Amino acid sequence: MAMSEAPARDHTATLVDEVRRARADGTPMRIVGAGRWLDAGRPVRAERTLELRTLVSPEIVHYEPGDLTLTVRATATLEAIDRLLRAEGQWLPLDPAGGTGGTIGATIATASAGPLSSAFGTPREQVLGVEVVTGRGEVIRAGGRVVKNVAGFDLTRLMTGAWGTLGAITEVSVRLRALPAVEATVAVSTSAADAWHWISASEYTPYAAELLTPSLARALAVGDQSTLLVRFGGNESLVRSALQSVSSLGDARAVDGEVWSRLSVRDAADAAVIRLSTRPSRLALLWERVTTVLERVGGEAHATPRRGVIRCIVPTDASDEEFARLRGIIQALRVEAQFVAERLPASLWSSLVPPTAADNLSRGIRSAFDPDRILNPGILGELA
Amino acid sequence: MNDDLIEQLRAIVGERRVLARAGELRTYESDGLPGYQKRPSLAVFPGTRDEVVTVVRLLAERSIPFVPRGAGTGLSGGALADEVVLLGLHRLKGILSIDADDARAVVEPGVVNSSLGRAAAAFGLHYAPDPSSQTACTIGGNVAENAGGPHCLKYGVTLNHVLAITALLPSGEIVQLGNPDGETDGYDLLGTFIGSEGCFGVALDVTVRLTKNPQAVRTLLADFMSVDAAAHAVSAVIAAGIVPAAMEMMDAATVQVVEASIYAAGYPTDAAAILLIDLDGAAAGLDDDAARVAAFCRAAGARGVRSATDPDERARLWQGRKKAFGAMGRLSPALVVQDAVVPRTKLPEVLAEIHRIAARHDVHICNVFHAGDGNLHPNIAYDPTSADEAARVHAAMSEVMRACIAAGGTITGEHGVGLDKMPYMEALFTPATLAAMCALREVFDPQRRANPGKVVPVHACREWHAAPSTREAAWR
Repeated sequence: MAMSEAPARDHTATLVDEVRRARADGTPMRIVGAGRWLDAGRPVRAERTLELRTLVSPEIVHYEPGDLTLTVRATATLEAIDRLLRAEGQWLPLDPAGGTGGTIGATIATASAGPLSSAFGTPREQVLGVEVVTGRGEVIRAGGRVVKNVAGFDLTRLMTGAWGTLGAITEVSVRLRALPAVEATVAVSTSAADAWHWISASEYTPYAAELLTPSLARALAVGDQSTLLVRFGGNESLVRSALQSVSSLGDARAVDGEVWSRLSVRDAADAAVIRLSTRPSRLALLWERVTTVLERVGGEAHATPRRGVIRCIVPTDASDEEFARLRGIIQALRVEAQFVAERLPASLWSSLVPPTAADNLSRGIRSAFDPDRILNPGILGELA
Repeated sequence: MNDDLIEQLRAIVGERRVLARAGELRTYESDGLPGYQKRPSLAVFPGTRDEVVTVVRLLAERSIPFVPRGAGTGLSGGALADEVVLLGLHRLKGILSIDADDARAVVEPGVVNSSLGRAAAAFGLHYAPDPSSQTACTIGGNVAENAGGPHCLKYGVTLNHVLAITALLPSGEIVQLGNPDGETDGYDLLGTFIGSEGCFGVALDVTVRLTKNPQAVRTLLADFMSVDAAAHAVSAVIAAGIVPAAMEMMDAATVQVVEASIYAAGYPTDAAAILLIDLDGAAAGLDDDAARVAAFCRAAGARGVRSATDPDERARLWQGRKKAFGAMGRLSPALVVQDAVVPRTKLPEVLAEIHRIAARHDVHICNVFHAGDGNLHPNIAYDPTSADEAARVHAAMSEVMRACIAAGGTITGEHGVGLDKMPYMEALFTPATLAAMCALREVFDPQRRANPGKVVPVHACREWHAAPSTREAAWR
């Protein structure tokens, strides 16, 4: 397939007008992509929504497969991008929780990463450039579409994971990979300590190596104990040897690759989701403790040992009594770990999670890019 | 004012660690690009972290601009101090810890890249970013430039290997960026600081990720009768999805210079271009990939593809590549090096265009570069005392840059903007984007005292500034 150019810059100008009007009116806005993950992050104090899909059409701006890069408007879904790339034998190894219905813009804005981050890193490792409409109502184009770029200060990294508080991402350039000749996924029952030992000592770098609690392994029908789900890709002899290597952990059972999609949409809509992290070498200890707590309260977790991150899913309902219980569970889980919340009942955010952009630099950056605090105010717990 | 400052600085770092006489300062007039000379007003070399902090706080109190400098191997004029204070950090050489279990190290900014590599080797680890200047350049400088190197094709650049930084802002405030003990959320201040070219402050310590040494390595040398054929081989390998650890191209001019120098590596001197390719990782499947790469090279017209048979030969082949810039010192007293990056499918056409530009301006361009990334290093050896030659070189380089931008590329992949590439920033970025960069800089350094006058042209920034800094001018 040859390069395909978007016919027009869709409605970025209208978007700029909307932001400028909101500034003038002092009307805070909630930025919405596909609208699938609005319950993630802190509650936003917004009077209206900025529906990106009505203003930014999900077009391919530039795709030349031989470059292994893609530039696409931010409202394109991961699913649509995947379809486009697979036809050319390529892929974008980003697998955030929530499945492929979400937009690339939201994935970058929230820096959401899934099991593939074990080998390919988080969005900051894959984004090459962004176009953003800032909270000042200016269009900026940071980075570019080449794979190495140090021209100017790194606004691309700044926008990645800023949760829209500096600007609405309207276009994204990402690095791509070629699909491997062979892919295989296996499940092996193992302790976290053994899993970490294998991962850190192995010559093989799996695309993903994700630990599952017994309850999650059962729910995905891949085991009934603490289970390591491993995904390899490469040429045939590499994958064959890698599979042999993982067998040193125990009986490695072949699993259909669609298990990864099931894992990514596993969270119940009303579950509380938090991430705990530590140095990778200390993950096993944390995992044992987290598993014990979660198995007792009916929760699940999966972990990316190479990054030292455990993602905990705790079912809950909306009663006050339940919130008190949930607060207790989270406080028990977060001991001696870094703590990042993804999704919590609104009432728990302020009492459980400190603001994430309260330092002087972050506040200064927010003021520079969104002086009137009109974009997603409150989502980082920032002081008004 | 200067005498008084010198006394205050000497009280902090010792008599001999402050240089103020013109003769002493000559060493610091240039970085790796000999074409620029700017003399610092004075140079100060703290030896400990506390001294760095005390010096920077003193400069902050007195609103004095300064330029941080590591080993001065940069190739963009970024570490030049034009009548301002030069803050040399190369004495902070401590490798504070190496944690083999988590494959990471904590180092001071003056640690030389290859020294860290040697220290990590005892644990079967290495530090992956490998700029060609790695035997001299420092980790602090690597962080400032977001440095790359040949093996960044597979392993990524400095950004991908830094977990945390303790940074000293120009105000003297110490901040922790990133977290070595787990995930951070909020703005990616660490990623924003890396590559800020000394404008956002200095790193007091850097926690880097170390990489396990690969089980096996295959090094291939492919030689071609035309640059175009070599460029097509690169495109074919990339498009096939093979990710070599490194894939470097050298053209005939470069090969001949290297072979005539003490770094002679045994490259074929009659080749129009050579590719030096490393494949590494698990031994299983590596030979299959190497065979495919060799087949792509032959299909593109390679005259021969040979494989290094032992570690010594591999080291020799790589030394020739890494010392190529040094070897060019044989040609002329001065050298300009560009660092543009183009989409990889554009390599053949951009290289052909560079060839035409060189012919048009009657200059001699050597190409030695990270082909797998599309990161070009066209360089021209010239005699700066000839005004006519210098003008032709300048005109050619500026056309090369514009050709790379027109091909969808960027002006610098790893060397930084510094002083040298500032004239091209406006060709690459819109005024609003440049203004946003200025605004970001002012968050880290409201007075714009750290590395003043670099990276973003100041006139591009006026719009966003409510109160532009005037102190820089006052000190001058």
